[in-house]
Amino acid sequence: MAHREAGVRETERANARVFLIGLCVFLALMLGFPTLANLWYSFSNVSIYDLAGTAFVGFANYVQAVGNPNMWAALGFSLKFAVICTVLEVGLGLAMVFILHPILTKRPWLTGILMLPMMVSPALMGVMYRLILNEFTGIVPAYLSMMGLPINLLGRNWIYETVIAIEVLQWTPFAFLIMLTARQSVAGELEEAAAVDGATGAKFGRLIALPVILPSIIIVAFIRFIDSFRVFDHIFVLTGGGPGNETTSISIYIYKLFFTQSKIGEAVAVSVMLLIASLALLYAALRLAVRRAPA
Amino acid sequence: MIVTRRTPLSRLLHALRWAAFILIAFILNLPILATIITSFKTAGDINTSPPVWLFAPTLGNYEEVLFTGNTDLVSYIINSILIAAGGTLLAMVLTFPAAYAMVRYEVGKTWLLPLITNVRALPLIIYAIPIYLMFQFVGLLDTIPGLALIACIINIPVALVLFVGFIQEIPEEMDSAAKIDGAGKWGILWHVILPLARPIIFAVLVLSFVYSWNEFLFGLILTTKNAVPVTVGATFFVTSYGVKWGATAAAMTLGIVPPMILGLFAYPYIGKSMLAGALKG
Repeated sequence: MAHREAGVRETERANARVFLIGLCVFLALMLGFPTLANLWYSFSNVSIYDLAGTAFVGFANYVQAVGNPNMWAALGFSLKFAVICTVLEVGLGLAMVFILHPILTKRPWLTGILMLPMMVSPALMGVMYRLILNEFTGIVPAYLSMMGLPINLLGRNWIYETVIAIEVLQWTPFAFLIMLTARQSVAGELEEAAAVDGATGAKFGRLIALPVILPSIIIVAFIRFIDSFRVFDHIFVLTGGGPGNETTSISIYIYKLFFTQSKIGEAVAVSVMLLIASLALLYAALRLAVRRAPA
Repeated sequence: MIVTRRTPLSRLLHALRWAAFILIAFILNLPILATIITSFKTAGDINTSPPVWLFAPTLGNYEEVLFTGNTDLVSYIINSILIAAGGTLLAMVLTFPAAYAMVRYEVGKTWLLPLITNVRALPLIIYAIPIYLMFQFVGLLDTIPGLALIACIINIPVALVLFVGFIQEIPEEMDSAAKIDGAGKWGILWHVILPLARPIIFAVLVLSFVYSWNEFLFGLILTTKNAVPVTVGATFFVTSYGVKWGATAAAMTLGIVPPMILGLFAYPYIGKSMLAGALKG
């Protein structure tokens, strides 16, 4: 009887696979096929005149890609950008949680006001900053020069700091939201119980709230790191990767190789290496998460 | 309740928290605020220095970008609506049954779910070139269905994670009861799970729409004229030479207000989808 039930269960499971077919077909077409095409192209002499990429050229595209110092510069930019932004977003977000938590708990709509920036398209956010940072008509330079600081934040000297600041100002609310959610999970009864035991204010924050928030800090940092690493939109709109290659992230680098220089083979080789590096990072993060997880 | 609010020190602290909130809210929303204000200014008011905060508002910039100015903004907005709607609906149709099968029959839960949640973490530029060439080959370049497919890729991880999380909370007895009444798998999905999942469907609808609307990279790469979404089209208003700030600000405002309003309803779910994705990934 038990055997038969297991058999029925197995058939049911097999039947249930029907529910996955649509999703699997879609993924195979839209992600599986492009992945294979990428691999194929990266070993062929693909060009705009030969889109099938018929001749096998071994590792030539990879050699060319690795030999290009601009790739390493773009990779360096993305890594540095991602690390700085992640640290700032987590730090500022955490500070906001501790400062604002008491007044937000009973007024969720106030939290909503702080969430508005992350609902805006990063590309349009870039354009809006172009508007308010414009040397001649922008309101920020107008007030800065009134304070005796006539600096052009979109000029060569400040553009690096500016693209970082824009990313941080747009995504700190995200870091804040997730850590706030964790912080609110220890509000109420636990906080009152701790108060009875004499843990209030800073002591409560350090001994109880912070350990509870810690896992969400790690998750936020990870998500923000990968999102900032692949940054494209607001930098492309603001600088196009310039001046020179100063603000060229790895995403902008691949875009430029393909769409402005028509170096398809090299662009595809960089894409494949980026895919492998991303998968390695994800795998490492997953292993770490599994080891940390209780049971 | 612990009464600690009464001392002068804690009152001061409380006041400082409010001051911090106002300052932070102002700084974070400054570009949005300034853009919306600029969109109601005349060219003369925009060029006044120091900037004026009180002025006679005008709808001239909106009239220009929508009707009289010979721009394509209206079609960009319509394109964005169609792309986001198509990508959202397709993602829901694909992921809802899959989430149900993963939770109730545990098929694909060990490989497909992690695979999809990890897609969210990949730099999408990796797929830009093969998808561009593929779309060129099948004639999907610069079409709305083509961009809706891209929006669907972006929405699938979020939709799947939220659906799986929600269906897990629905007690299995609900299914069994329907099964005794002779309902098949599709019947259960349609008549039992779907009505119960209404709140999460609403959240997925809204979030997917916001994410699709805000997509820029593929909109830039895959469109030239006919299917340009508003995120790409609005950037056309900024040329380094002879920019019209009032018109640009009006175009920006029309491009950011829909996702901001929708986002206000859905932001609590963003944390959930991200956390679940990171944990299960």
